[in-house]
Amino acid sequence: MSSSTQAPLGTQSITLKHDDHVIIDGLDVTFPAGKVTAIVGPNGCGKSTLLNGLSRVHLPSSGHILLNGKDIHSMPAKQVAKKLALLPQETSAPDGITVRELIRFGRHPHQSLFKQWGMDDRTAIEFALQAANLESLGDRLLDTLSGGQRQRAWIAMSIAQETPLLLLDEPTSALDLGHQIEVFDLIRELAAAGKTIIMVVHDLAMAARYADHLIAMKGGEIVAQGSPKQVITPEILESLYGVHCDLLADPHTGAPILVNVRRAHDSGASKAAAPSDKKQAELAL
Amino acid sequence: MSLSHSSSAQLTPPSGYWLLRSKHMSLLLDRQAIRRNILLSVALLLIGILSLGVGTLSLSPKEVVLALIGQGDSMTQFVVNELRLNRLLAGIYTGAAFSIAGCLMQTVARNRLATPGIIGIDNAAMAFAVASVVGVGIGLAPSAMALTGAASATALAFIIGGGSGTRGYRFIVAGLAIGSVSAAVSQLLLSQVHIDTANEAYPWTVGSLSARPEEQIPWMGWITLVGMVVSIFLCQRFQLMAFSDSVMTALGRTPNRLRFSAVAISVVLTGFAVALAGPVGLVALVGPEMARTFAKHRGLPLVSSALCGAIVMVLADFAGRTLLSPIEIPVGVVTAVVGGPYLLWILIRKPKRSTL
Amino acid sequence: MHFATSFWQRAPSQRPLVVCFCLVSVLTIGCALLSLLIGAGAVDITESWSTLWGQGNEEAHFVIMELRLPRTLVGLVVGIALGISGALMQAVARNPLAEPGLLGVSAGASFAVAAALILGASAATLAMGVAQLGALAGCFFVMIAARLQGQFKDPVRLVLAGAALTSLLTALTSILLMYDQRAADEIRFWVTGSVAGRHLSNLVTVLPYFAIAAAITLYVSKPLASMALGEKVALGLGHNPRTIRYLVMLAVALFAGSATAIAGPIMFVGLVVPFAARALVGPDIRRTMIMCLPIGPLMIIGADILTRMIAQPAEMPLGVLTAMVGAPVLMLIVRAKRLPTLA
Repeated sequence: MSSSTQAPLGTQSITLKHDDHVIIDGLDVTFPAGKVTAIVGPNGCGKSTLLNGLSRVHLPSSGHILLNGKDIHSMPAKQVAKKLALLPQETSAPDGITVRELIRFGRHPHQSLFKQWGMDDRTAIEFALQAANLESLGDRLLDTLSGGQRQRAWIAMSIAQETPLLLLDEPTSALDLGHQIEVFDLIRELAAAGKTIIMVVHDLAMAARYADHLIAMKGGEIVAQGSPKQVITPEILESLYGVHCDLLADPHTGAPILVNVRRAHDSGASKAAAPSDKKQAELAL
Repeated sequence: MSLSHSSSAQLTPPSGYWLLRSKHMSLLLDRQAIRRNILLSVALLLIGILSLGVGTLSLSPKEVVLALIGQGDSMTQFVVNELRLNRLLAGIYTGAAFSIAGCLMQTVARNRLATPGIIGIDNAAMAFAVASVVGVGIGLAPSAMALTGAASATALAFIIGGGSGTRGYRFIVAGLAIGSVSAAVSQLLLSQVHIDTANEAYPWTVGSLSARPEEQIPWMGWITLVGMVVSIFLCQRFQLMAFSDSVMTALGRTPNRLRFSAVAISVVLTGFAVALAGPVGLVALVGPEMARTFAKHRGLPLVSSALCGAIVMVLADFAGRTLLSPIEIPVGVVTAVVGGPYLLWILIRKPKRSTL
Repeated sequence: MHFATSFWQRAPSQRPLVVCFCLVSVLTIGCALLSLLIGAGAVDITESWSTLWGQGNEEAHFVIMELRLPRTLVGLVVGIALGISGALMQAVARNPLAEPGLLGVSAGASFAVAAALILGASAATLAMGVAQLGALAGCFFVMIAARLQGQFKDPVRLVLAGAALTSLLTALTSILLMYDQRAADEIRFWVTGSVAGRHLSNLVTVLPYFAIAAAITLYVSKPLASMALGEKVALGLGHNPRTIRYLVMLAVALFAGSATAIAGPIMFVGLVVPFAARALVGPDIRRTMIMCLPIGPLMIIGADILTRMIAQPAEMPLGVLTAMVGAPVLMLIVRAKRLPTLA
């Protein structure tokens, strides 16, 4: 798993449409290597569309997606699958499949008709099981796992794909708090092992805590990007979600925490309070 | 936590598989599938021998086997090899073809009900073939016409169904509509021709193995074989169709290309099978379903589907010849009487979390 | 002009029912007249017209009164029956695809008729009760099958159940027909559906059934409208959904069974007519059913006129034509972005 300093994935003025509706228009963005990048923004801001565009699920109507400097759509699909893995938001697996069998599907890009099983497959699967902490569950049916375990099994399938890049679309959307932490911890470990991770996250607090790099989107455009502290400011939050809030620093990690969130246009009083809020927030940071 | 590639010196296959390995290749063989397919083949053989013995001249299995290997008296040899064997082979080939086609189509639409018969391919192929038989339109042979019909019905269903496999229901309803129009057209064609021609064509439109043109049967055999081999070659990637489009893409396959190849194989097999045996579409539902039951719903049991389809077809023909003897019930009618309630049962019983 | 534009711009449920009804009725009456004026027999349009007013010769009189009039009247009655039964079934199943023909009612009736033919009846003296019984059985079977697992609202499941039942019954019918060549010959022309060659006495036989069905329909129309808001609401308003459902099924079977007995299985009319009615006046069941009254005959008589014109001098079976019109409408319904539920 190589982690060069050059951005492994980026877009060149891509336009993405749903039918005739333009979601993203001429967007340029790059993602830092070896880091966890979280894309955040309000509902319908185009963050999932962007992720689907990056992973070839959604074809751009114009522009290019560059994988290590080459246009992703000019490369053979299987070659791309060896470099870039995606965990979509909605996952459905065949019935009656065990965890180990699911993970084995991650080896698909590395296999061919006459090369169905090799040492590398075996090691990759064992490694994925171990990384996702699923060793004891390998032979369980996927249906019988808890939500967090199942999500880890899907991530393990992407790990077995052995790609330097991993894209995740709201990996914790249906999970309770404990399971969310479980999944995010795993994502951090993967980043520590050198993977470049790009994920769409709904929960700002989680994004701030677990990502190195945030990209805030609204209306198909990037409003701000940078470290969590640079991006999570009262001004940006107001432009993203139309809310006022105060920020505190997490006593352990220093990540920004949102408190006292209220609608921006609620009353004159809260508007008047905004400047002092900002000062407080700056103090807190 | 430390992440390290743990490696052991011994390469063991995943549990339940045999590993066939040489310098340049490694193949995984599903142990359970191989055992199952051997058993099914034996069953097919036995049923075949039994069915060869039944008729106006009834023969013991021993006589049949002797005749097959070229011994026994010439009368028996004639009856078995010249009269009955062709019909049996036609049943095996078309049953296998229908069943593989059904299995693939179900996988594409992610819905076990989406078999060629239900989504109108059979009826369209039949309508085109009837047109050829009653002499309307261009003078193409029935099988070419049937193939054209099957292909155009599928294309239409796909266009109307939105071209997506994820919304199977739309595809199915579009197919149902196409099927009923095709059936109406067949009725129309038959009602326009002379009553004797219509009567001749009648058993054919419900699906039958009697009086098949002999020279077509070896052709059907080759087509079924090629279809089966190709789909086994592609089986590994067809399995990915059980996942969502995003996962398919992420694993390095283009979903539409996968679907196209599966549907193309399915259409060719169905088209030729309809041209030979008429619309016996419910085999395409029952065959794969049997195979999945035996396979405990693991993987994509293409070979088992083919064998089960052949068994169902031969059994149905066997039943059709013997139950109401001397009247012969066309095999399509038998499969409808068996398959219809079966389909209803699938619909009525508690739906599982996933459809396939 | 101004009125016309504002009329079409209005939401369907806001359009005045009386205006819609009158407009379509005019079309229907026009079609019915046309159906009397053209068609087989050596009587041209002007001659037919004068015959209608009591002039003309014996032969023209025979053609109009004995051939074309019964045909038109049968079309009228069958159209109303199929249209209303479709609307009723869709309301009770809350499923825009529920249609007697698609759900195996016609196949049930066909099977029953085939059985009756085997047992010695002839198509002309066919006992209506037989077809109705078949229709009723087919209808109940599918609805109960779909009901068992609460699959009522899944449109495709219901339609598939109907398709399965249809293929089963068709197969059984073929087995029956293999026994009897005479029956096979008689039924081959019956199975494509037609309103031609039907005698007025056929119509008279089924009128009592239609009357019962119409009475039931009148009775259930109000509770049905409240059931559209949910069964619990209907219960709260003092209706018993279970009773209503069974009554509706009975009415559907009487309507569809009688129509099938006279005209053979005509598919898709029960789908297209309520669909058109809803497009005109919105989803309210009472408004829909009132609009079905002129639209149903319009479709059948219109289709019947077309069958006489397309394949002259022969005639195209009516059932074939309605299938060709209906199948695209079926696709149109499914093609909609979201499958409309009739909740």
